[in-house]
Amino acid sequence: MKKLLLYISIIIAGAFTACEDAINLNVPNGQSYPVLDAWITNETGIQKIRITMSVPYTQGGTAPVVDDAKLTVHDLTSGDSYAFTYNNGYYTYDASAKAIGVVGHVYKLHMEYKGEILEGLDSLKRVPPVDSITYEFKTKEQSISGKEGYYARFYAKDLKSNVDYYWIRSYRNDTTRRLEDNFSIDGSYDEGVSDGGSFILPIAEGITDYDKPFQSGEKIIVRLSSLSKPSYDFLTQVNEQVNAGGLFAKVLENVKSNMQNTTANGKVKVLGRFGTSAVSRAEVTVK
Amino acid sequence: MLLSAIILLFGATVTYAQQARYTVSGYVKDKQNGESLIGISVGKPGTSIGTVTNQYGFYSITLPAGEQELQFSYIGYSNFKTTLNLQKNTTLDVKLEASSSQLNEVTIRCDKQEKAINTINTSINRLDIAQMKAMPTFMGEVDVLRAIQTLPGVNTVGEGASGFNVRGGNSDENLILLDEAPVYNSTHMLGFFSVFNPDAVKSLNLIKGGFPAEYGGRTSSVLDIRMKDGNNQKLALNGGIGNIFSRLSLEAPIVKDKSSFIVAARRSYIDVLMKPFVKGDMKDTKLNFYDLTAKANYKFNSNNTLFLSGYFGRDVFGFGKDVNMNWGNATATLRWNHVFNNRLFLNLSTYYSKYDYSLQFSNESKKSSTEEQQGYDWTSNIINYGVKPSFTYYLNSANTLHFGVHGVYYTFKPGTGIGTEGNDQHVKTLPDKHALESAVYVDHEYKPNKHFGIQYGLRVSSYQLLGSGFEYYYADTTPGIRKRLLEIKEYGAGEKMKGYHYFEPRASIRYAFNDQNAVKVAYSRTTQFMHQLSNTASPTPLDIWTPSTNNIEPMVADQYTVGYFYNAPNDNYEVSAEVFYKTTDHQLDYIDNANLQLNPLIEADLLPSQGRAYGLELYAKKDIGKTTGWVSYTLSRTERKTPGISLNEWFLNRYDRTHNLNLVLTHTFTKRTSLSANWVFASGTPATFADNRLEFQDWDIPYNSTEKRNNYRLAPYHRLDLSVTLKGKQLKRWKGEWVFSLYNVYARRNAYTVYFRQNPDNPDLKEAVRFSIIGSIIPGITYNFKF
Repeated sequence: MKKLLLYISIIIAGAFTACEDAINLNVPNGQSYPVLDAWITNETGIQKIRITMSVPYTQGGTAPVVDDAKLTVHDLTSGDSYAFTYNNGYYTYDASAKAIGVVGHVYKLHMEYKGEILEGLDSLKRVPPVDSITYEFKTKEQSISGKEGYYARFYAKDLKSNVDYYWIRSYRNDTTRRLEDNFSIDGSYDEGVSDGGSFILPIAEGITDYDKPFQSGEKIIVRLSSLSKPSYDFLTQVNEQVNAGGLFAKVLENVKSNMQNTTANGKVKVLGRFGTSAVSRAEVTVK
Repeated sequence: MLLSAIILLFGATVTYAQQARYTVSGYVKDKQNGESLIGISVGKPGTSIGTVTNQYGFYSITLPAGEQELQFSYIGYSNFKTTLNLQKNTTLDVKLEASSSQLNEVTIRCDKQEKAINTINTSINRLDIAQMKAMPTFMGEVDVLRAIQTLPGVNTVGEGASGFNVRGGNSDENLILLDEAPVYNSTHMLGFFSVFNPDAVKSLNLIKGGFPAEYGGRTSSVLDIRMKDGNNQKLALNGGIGNIFSRLSLEAPIVKDKSSFIVAARRSYIDVLMKPFVKGDMKDTKLNFYDLTAKANYKFNSNNTLFLSGYFGRDVFGFGKDVNMNWGNATATLRWNHVFNNRLFLNLSTYYSKYDYSLQFSNESKKSSTEEQQGYDWTSNIINYGVKPSFTYYLNSANTLHFGVHGVYYTFKPGTGIGTEGNDQHVKTLPDKHALESAVYVDHEYKPNKHFGIQYGLRVSSYQLLGSGFEYYYADTTPGIRKRLLEIKEYGAGEKMKGYHYFEPRASIRYAFNDQNAVKVAYSRTTQFMHQLSNTASPTPLDIWTPSTNNIEPMVADQYTVGYFYNAPNDNYEVSAEVFYKTTDHQLDYIDNANLQLNPLIEADLLPSQGRAYGLELYAKKDIGKTTGWVSYTLSRTERKTPGISLNEWFLNRYDRTHNLNLVLTHTFTKRTSLSANWVFASGTPATFADNRLEFQDWDIPYNSTEKRNNYRLAPYHRLDLSVTLKGKQLKRWKGEWVFSLYNVYARRNAYTVYFRQNPDNPDLKEAVRFSIIGSIIPGITYNFKF
């Protein structure tokens, strides 16, 4: 919904010569915190968790890695636990034989760091398959953004009954860099307005970067992930914070971590989040 | 009760006075077009005895029996003097002739009651449409809201922001009245143009403090916009053709001298002009707004006049056939002016006001044959009905009483969402809310002599939330996080839910040392029961209004004002200086990541906040001569304190601007050419900056480790606008003029917001970005005509 308003404000702002300029701000360095980036899925293969230190916003390069934490994922439903080991920038667990994530299970991440214990919870929800991806060529004149190329959409159907929360991320060619992120409740924007239907058009068409549509020979990749309600709230807030431009900009808000320090008089504060998703994927190469 | 006490108190004076005194009363109108004239000075030359016409052009003045000279005067009109032999109460309707005396510098010398120095009330700014028309325009269009932003104490978070801020108040704290009906969304095009058609506007009053008891329901200001009555002498056509939109208005007598009407319309046409050039997804793009303003009046006799006025406007946006959005206001006002006798005047207003929006999208044009039809509709509205009988009792030349009641019934439809897929339909409706706001008020204006004047009064306001509806009860938690729902209580239709009652004392005192110098002090308490929920940089058209409930307490503001007023001896210019201090309780704030749309448990995300604002306002104005205009400067601060936000410390509001300077100048070279300039300088608005980034799932999340909100300021805002008006040959009937304007002459890129992002072309580069809504110089051309 807000996205629609954003499109309109972009067009109007465009008419009034709106512009964006990178500027230098003199912001003193703030306090640096460890940032947990842990998202466990039901996919097989290597599962990775990363911990870095936060850095001043405009500082280039990647953030320094924290390598001295101890991480264990507990499946609270089955009682299984998975110890992650640090190796070359990541804490990893080889789930090639059997995936960690099981739909319907609840997970806890146990983290030992600087002599204190932090824990976070999430539950792993169900996800429907991505049925297909289609694309359509548009000339400069035909496209809203005025950019020539292929505009894609994906097809998937929300699962019937219950309220389901989804995260749709698209990629170009490979999954090293995100392209677009969209979020959905029951295939739509809100609870209670749809159930079991196809993902609505603005979401289905949201996988293309309108400023740089796909070109011939490029691969379009769509990943559809299930989310718990708390994870949905967290990620939609992140999404608003990283897309904070425009007439109706959100003011800067800090995203809150789900990692709780369980040590008596514990002092360590960790940002980021531990989350879990069931994942389905689809890809197509533009010909 | 209070009222009868006051009447009793003055009863004696009245009886005494009647033995020797008679009352002259009537309406003052413009001779050429029959428009009633507001704020005209009516006085006895050489004395301090005088009054001004009210909002309907009515006056009443009580004088000793015998030969009496009366003078009617107003800037831009020729003086009218008459001598009466008063032997009984007399009705005297007067028609004033507009003069071009401003050019010839024929100064009008008399005690001008409407001058700021002479009114009891402080903190009031009045603008006539003629003054607004003289100012430089944005894209060639005269704009009511842009005009008031040049006044002291008024600012905005940036161009394109809908709404304005008065004396440190939020934009939802302004009561915007169009012929007494409240207007909820005052702008078109997301904030660029105001909804008020200048061709149908007569004048506006902006009240920033020292509120008369007649006004209530908002804590910061009252913007009282009065529409033209319509020419009751002859048919007149007004219009303008500009590069964004065009205007046309028609006014004519229905029965000469008795009845007239005006109809004024506007429409923007960017999308129509664009049409031949776009195809594909842009083909059916709709991007326009239109509005219709109309008014009619009928004078039954000298004691009874009826007015009917209305407004309807919409903004329409759409992409192809698949996405459609529109929103707008509709208002209607029916008024009856009744003169009981020479001293008792009644205006009875009844009004209706509605704001609604609707969003729809479907897959109609893009679906394949195998796909099901899919659609989504979302609608929301607020409707209110009001009735307001207000009486003015002109006791004698020293005492006037204003009293009346005011009742408003509100219905809120916070939102209905309907999703369809094939034959499958899902409906989500947030329950309606209903509220009744009522008030009784009385104000006593006492002017015993030339030096001293006082207006004091009381407004007793009462608010009642009514069923059917639900009350939600939440657990107390750490402030700043979503509250947990404990219980929902259901109420049947018409059942009383939460209610609130307030006494709102008001007082203004003026003391004049002489004809040039006066001081005024004022105090007022105001309350507000309606709140707009918005947590973006400026309110969006989708931000809903919500009533006070058991969880949302009404806002209560106390304001203290002291002012000094100077009027140059030859009326050449006037100067004023005012200081104010204001506190507000129960402003609304929001938890981080608050969900404000289509959320039944919205009150769990709201936080009560305490506000304070103070400042100094300087204003100098020159009305007469070849060069006219004003300078205003405001030094102010506005802050709030919200438990759970910004470490529970006071922090600056998003709309705080330390300095705000406005220069508005118009110079008339010849009868046919004039030049206007407007220069604005304002401190940048506060902003929260990120001092950290978090690497998370391929995102770089901005993070503020200080946890303090609005701890930085954007760069100062400044802008120069120019416009030149060239009048064509002023023929007897056809009068045309070209207006050429330049907005943002030196093309400054003023920051609207600063945000943080990964560079889209080089995601490894993280940068702070200044977003400017206007990035260049914007020219405008309009041709205005009168027939």
